[in-house]
Amino acid sequence: MTTFYINGQKVTANKNDTILSVARREGFYIPTLCYLTKVKPISSCRLCVVEVEGQNGFILSCQTPPVEGINVITDSQKLFTHRQNIMKMYDVNHPLECGVCDKSGNCDLQNKTLDFEVSSQEFSAKEQKRVIENWGFIKYDESLCILCERCVHVCNEVVGDNALKIGVGGYKSRIVRVEDSSCSECGECMAVCPVGALTTKDFQYKTNAWELQKIPATCAHCSSGCQIFYEVKHVGSCEKSDKKVYRVTNDVDINSLCGAGRFAYDFNNSSVKDKDKFEKAIEAFHVADTIVFNSYITNEEALILQRLKEKFGYKLINSSALKYQKFLQEFSKSAGSMLYNGTIEDIKSADFAIVLGSKISSDNPIVKYALNTAQKNRRAEICYLHPIQDEDIKQIVTQHIKYEVGSEEGVVALLLQLFLNQENLEDSLKSYIDELDIGYLSAESNIGEEELSKLKAKSIRKQNFVLVIGEDLITHKRAENIAKLIGLFQKYTQFKVIIIPTQTNTLGVSLICDLDEKKGNYSIGYNVKGNFTLSCFDGDLSMPSLNQQEGTFTTIDKRVVPTNVAISYNGYCLNDIANAIGLNKKYTIDYTIELPHEKGFIKKSFDELSNFYNLNGDDNRGYALENKVVNSIVAVESVEDIGEFNGTVVYRCESVNQFNYNTFVSKNLANDSFLIGSNQFAIAAKIGDGDEVEFSIGENLIKKVFKIDKKLKGTIAMNPSFDRLLSDDWVSSSYRYQKVTIKRVEG
Amino acid sequence: MSKVVFSLWQNELIDNRDKSETECKESAFKFPVNFGDNATKAFIGWEGVAIFDKDIDVVKLSCEYAAQYQVYSEACGRCAPGRWGGRILYDLLDKIARGEGELSDIEHLKEVSQTMKETSKCEIGKSVPKPLLTLIEYFQNDFLDLIYNKKRSKYYDNSDVKYISKVTAPCMDACPAHVDIPAYIEGVKDLLLDDSLKATRKTMPLAHTCGRVCPHPCENECRRANVDEPISIMELKRIGADYEDSHGLNWFHPTTPKPKNGKKVCIIGAGPAGLTAAYYLALEGVHCDVYEELPVLGGEVAVGVPEYRMPIGKYNQDIELVRSLGVNFITNFRVKPDDMIKFEQDYDAVVVCTGTRLSKKVRCKNERTEIKGYWPAIPFLDQINLNIKYNLAEPVDLTGKTVVCVGGGFTSMDVVRCSIRANAKRVVMLYRRDEKTIIKNTSYEEYHEAIEEGVEFIFQSAIEEIFTDENDRLTKLRINMYEEQADPNGGRPQLVKVEGADFDLECDYLVPAVSQDADLSLLPKECEIDMTSWGTIKTDGTTYMTNKKGIFAAGDCEYGPMTIVNAVGQAKRAASCIVRYLESGEAKRNDDEIMEDSLRRLRVYNKKEKVSGWLKGLKREVSEKLDVESRKYSQEEVNFGFTQEQALYEASRCMRCYYIAMVAV
Repeated sequence: MTTFYINGQKVTANKNDTILSVARREGFYIPTLCYLTKVKPISSCRLCVVEVEGQNGFILSCQTPPVEGINVITDSQKLFTHRQNIMKMYDVNHPLECGVCDKSGNCDLQNKTLDFEVSSQEFSAKEQKRVIENWGFIKYDESLCILCERCVHVCNEVVGDNALKIGVGGYKSRIVRVEDSSCSECGECMAVCPVGALTTKDFQYKTNAWELQKIPATCAHCSSGCQIFYEVKHVGSCEKSDKKVYRVTNDVDINSLCGAGRFAYDFNNSSVKDKDKFEKAIEAFHVADTIVFNSYITNEEALILQRLKEKFGYKLINSSALKYQKFLQEFSKSAGSMLYNGTIEDIKSADFAIVLGSKISSDNPIVKYALNTAQKNRRAEICYLHPIQDEDIKQIVTQHIKYEVGSEEGVVALLLQLFLNQENLEDSLKSYIDELDIGYLSAESNIGEEELSKLKAKSIRKQNFVLVIGEDLITHKRAENIAKLIGLFQKYTQFKVIIIPTQTNTLGVSLICDLDEKKGNYSIGYNVKGNFTLSCFDGDLSMPSLNQQEGTFTTIDKRVVPTNVAISYNGYCLNDIANAIGLNKKYTIDYTIELPHEKGFIKKSFDELSNFYNLNGDDNRGYALENKVVNSIVAVESVEDIGEFNGTVVYRCESVNQFNYNTFVSKNLANDSFLIGSNQFAIAAKIGDGDEVEFSIGENLIKKVFKIDKKLKGTIAMNPSFDRLLSDDWVSSSYRYQKVTIKRVEG
Repeated sequence: MSKVVFSLWQNELIDNRDKSETECKESAFKFPVNFGDNATKAFIGWEGVAIFDKDIDVVKLSCEYAAQYQVYSEACGRCAPGRWGGRILYDLLDKIARGEGELSDIEHLKEVSQTMKETSKCEIGKSVPKPLLTLIEYFQNDFLDLIYNKKRSKYYDNSDVKYISKVTAPCMDACPAHVDIPAYIEGVKDLLLDDSLKATRKTMPLAHTCGRVCPHPCENECRRANVDEPISIMELKRIGADYEDSHGLNWFHPTTPKPKNGKKVCIIGAGPAGLTAAYYLALEGVHCDVYEELPVLGGEVAVGVPEYRMPIGKYNQDIELVRSLGVNFITNFRVKPDDMIKFEQDYDAVVVCTGTRLSKKVRCKNERTEIKGYWPAIPFLDQINLNIKYNLAEPVDLTGKTVVCVGGGFTSMDVVRCSIRANAKRVVMLYRRDEKTIIKNTSYEEYHEAIEEGVEFIFQSAIEEIFTDENDRLTKLRINMYEEQADPNGGRPQLVKVEGADFDLECDYLVPAVSQDADLSLLPKECEIDMTSWGTIKTDGTTYMTNKKGIFAAGDCEYGPMTIVNAVGQAKRAASCIVRYLESGEAKRNDDEIMEDSLRRLRVYNKKEKVSGWLKGLKREVSEKLDVESRKYSQEEVNFGFTQEQALYEASRCMRCYYIAMVAV
């Protein structure tokens, strides 16, 4: 702790604080252009300089930690003149096109130019040719760029793609996109751009920033549940015309989004009330004994379904959530707490992280970002255990351990043996660990003992451990025992555990719904194929999309966060049906307060939930679930013999920025759903790039075009499923790896 | 001393413009009055300007200086004042030089200069306006003449004068390998660790090694010391290298390696100098065969520097970097004079990098190499390292033994600390001078860590005589004690023997570690290669070619026992000159290298400069070390290096003291 003064007021600084961070916390304004809370100080704009009493010259406040006892002056005539001079420089040759610039009204350069009273230009410089480049969906206009370098920093420090660089060259300096980089088109660069240099093709020239209405919401695409704003406006000139989402923004200083969250906002459904169809739906509910659904629903909707079950005895089928539910339950039994104990923040501050059973770059980009932050800020060891090497995260991962498909249970046992501290164990557990046949497990999983000891060696002197568990384990046939073993990690090691919920609200559904194993005779499908289907796309009755509903999601962080209506929906919703057949709540959000308390939900009504981060980045979104203590019983089973998984294997894995039908329908994202494999795979399966192929998973025949990805290795191909608008329930719950025979479709 | 027409450098103003020859004063600074074989017309840089030729066009000179900053400075364009300010400076000066200037332009120049001076990101942007303002002030009439009379400056369209510039920094100037230190530190600060490593490798291929065991002369000339404490420059170097290593990324080369050009160079010795020469030659497309006498690669850093200071796994990364360019290593090959004659014919050039691997004697009575227990440092460390790192020698077990080492440099520190790890009962270091000097010759850390581990230091002592038993086994040493007496002439203090203070020291081993000689028996007599008076190969000291065309020498075998970074610097320069030699048959420095040498003569660092704009009192970061008890019995690396947080903090203390210097020739 350092005590010092800002403008004479006594303040204190913690470790890693800078003069600027303390000033912001204490409410002193220091102007900045390049500073971004979530990355390291960039120090390119030089606006944040301050004076320190008794010392000559200006001190850069963004990167300088305070020294005991100094008095910092944040504003003076000298500083004003200096800052004004900098703004004069920034304005040299900046195109005077504010009238049409997308950033106008929302532009830091504009604001600071006005703040520092630069009303005329006294000097100029010879301009040179400045180009406009297209970086996929994003456009870079060099002439508007002030080279603050924020984009480069987020791409490197947050996203981990390292796709942008500064092309240095004095006055010719510019931002360069690195060729062959693993740019995931997340749009973070654009989001943090303080001027109009980076925009999207979709947004450019469509509206003025000040005409947009900001709707605070939660991203609907995955369980990270990021805080977003849907920015909406009428399409036409009259107020009664339809509204449209023009873009998604977020609190960029603190928060980051992936490409799906940022660009796939156009998935709303337009429909009007069709009484006939509604009547048919009610009839179907009377006939049905089963409701099939997925977890792209709110907590409130899940509770409605649960209430319907309680009242009318419907079987609730959601196999993906059921697998997660069982996994979590078995996990709890050995861990001793209802929920896992880790959060995204824990990943960010980890110095040793293991990711097991998840293709993290597409499964959950925010977890990938957090791992990258840990690597960059703390030089964390990031061990990625997966059968497929992921070239795109090479800059994040410090050790890739490849294991055989199917051997996940053995891998968990190996890790447990490696990290479990034998000293405080109960005898039964000790003998369980002692009896593990390491030689066999290592041989069958194909993980060398050397690799394991290397991993162990890296953990020496580390302090913050996290273990991230992915869907490969949850859908494994030995998932229940795997879950128990993972529970031991939480209970007996320093590891904090995170079990990634597979869909947006899988965690919420698995806590709220009492799910069934087997379907009955007649099913209502909710965004899943059923005998009678309710869907936000083309079902028997149209339903609102997730950006047309208010309600809450339960996120990976075990928080209940609110979302709001971006575009109003004129048709019927689930609550209308529930009310018609016998429940009685005026609004869906009337269920918020009734979410099951025994599962950790808090008695709070929807309107009591806030949705923001404060200036210091503290999370004020909704509330955190209470992680209840459960009795812990250690009852792990021995590891089952590991079967062979040879031949051509396909892996259910979405492409980057695609998650499901909601992202698939977005016109802003690439949505080709190819079967993607390595050269080696093509040879093994006797197929070539561009071939149309077919293969069966269970009873289902799947047709896809095959593409070779040169960065891939091995005989496992990626088989995306996001392109299925209305898929069967099993698609998202089967083991992600399937042995298949691939045939080329002739002609 | 330099003869000038006019000069203002630091605080020294010399104006001989209107003076007669006898009234003329000389500047105390060693300006580059000559550039290679040519006389320099003017020199301009961060501290001012020096004019040697009356005929110089000062407006054009200032315009060119601004242009050099703007166009050639690779370092900048990353802050608003530098990026725009530099451009405006140039445009305004050019306007005046073209004869289109107005009086208001001078005012604008001053205004922009002020902003640049106060807030540029690096010193280059802060310092460029200084000599320009000097010229405007002291040569006001030249500027006003052009403005009032709307005329072009005298030599505006004349291209006879060549302007040569170079970016430097105090630390870069002090580093024998001239590593672009601010750039690699910036890479750490920005978390662009690939950039950091590439910056290091521009002139230093041994990033792992010199990130660990460099005596870092740069830190003695770090400008941050003028504010509080110098940056921990060395430790920040390994961050980039460790990043490449821990992610298993492809090698980050500073430039794209060129395709093979058909030229072949033979390098003798695979130590730091040999590796460096091979790396930079291979980057240029030259095929290199490296002959190494030992069974392992790396020279003294491999078999001399112990594992706990320089883990071989990390050094091997540096070696693999060199190998990755297709360099061919031939080990277990001791080059003999006949081979040398053959190499001269077979290769386009030969570089001798054989180091100094003959331990010198301590020079006392009864000193004979055959005494059992007389174990010179080089073979002593060879055996220890070949055993520990490669399992190619018997282990050294000193259990129950007393080891006495005579030395005072890094090698002797390695001997005593290795002896502790070999379980010796007692380890004594004898040194002729005092504690302060031993710290100066090695490092504070090295000395204190040795004391912590239990090494006894006896200062101001020397061996008078060695005693042996009937089997010619060492039994004891007679030690004399000395005291320092100030030299009345102000030289190094004299050592005077203290009478009656002699004592005997019983011991099992005596390890002389008092410097080494070069073993140059490989050089054929008929070659007639010149030698220095201290028994090393003589070169011209700038291109490192010997008197024999096509034969070069770099590293300790040229300089005498010195540092790794010195060997790297020499070998890098030699490689660069060899590339030119292979093309033209002449070994010559390029302009940049001539500038480099000129600036080192002038010295970039100014200890007395008052630095402002940086908060005083930010402590230098210190990395964590392995605790004494654990390290005494293990070979584990003692220095954990910086944590990422420490590295980022330390990097943010760097002031980026880039400067730009230019000569008009």
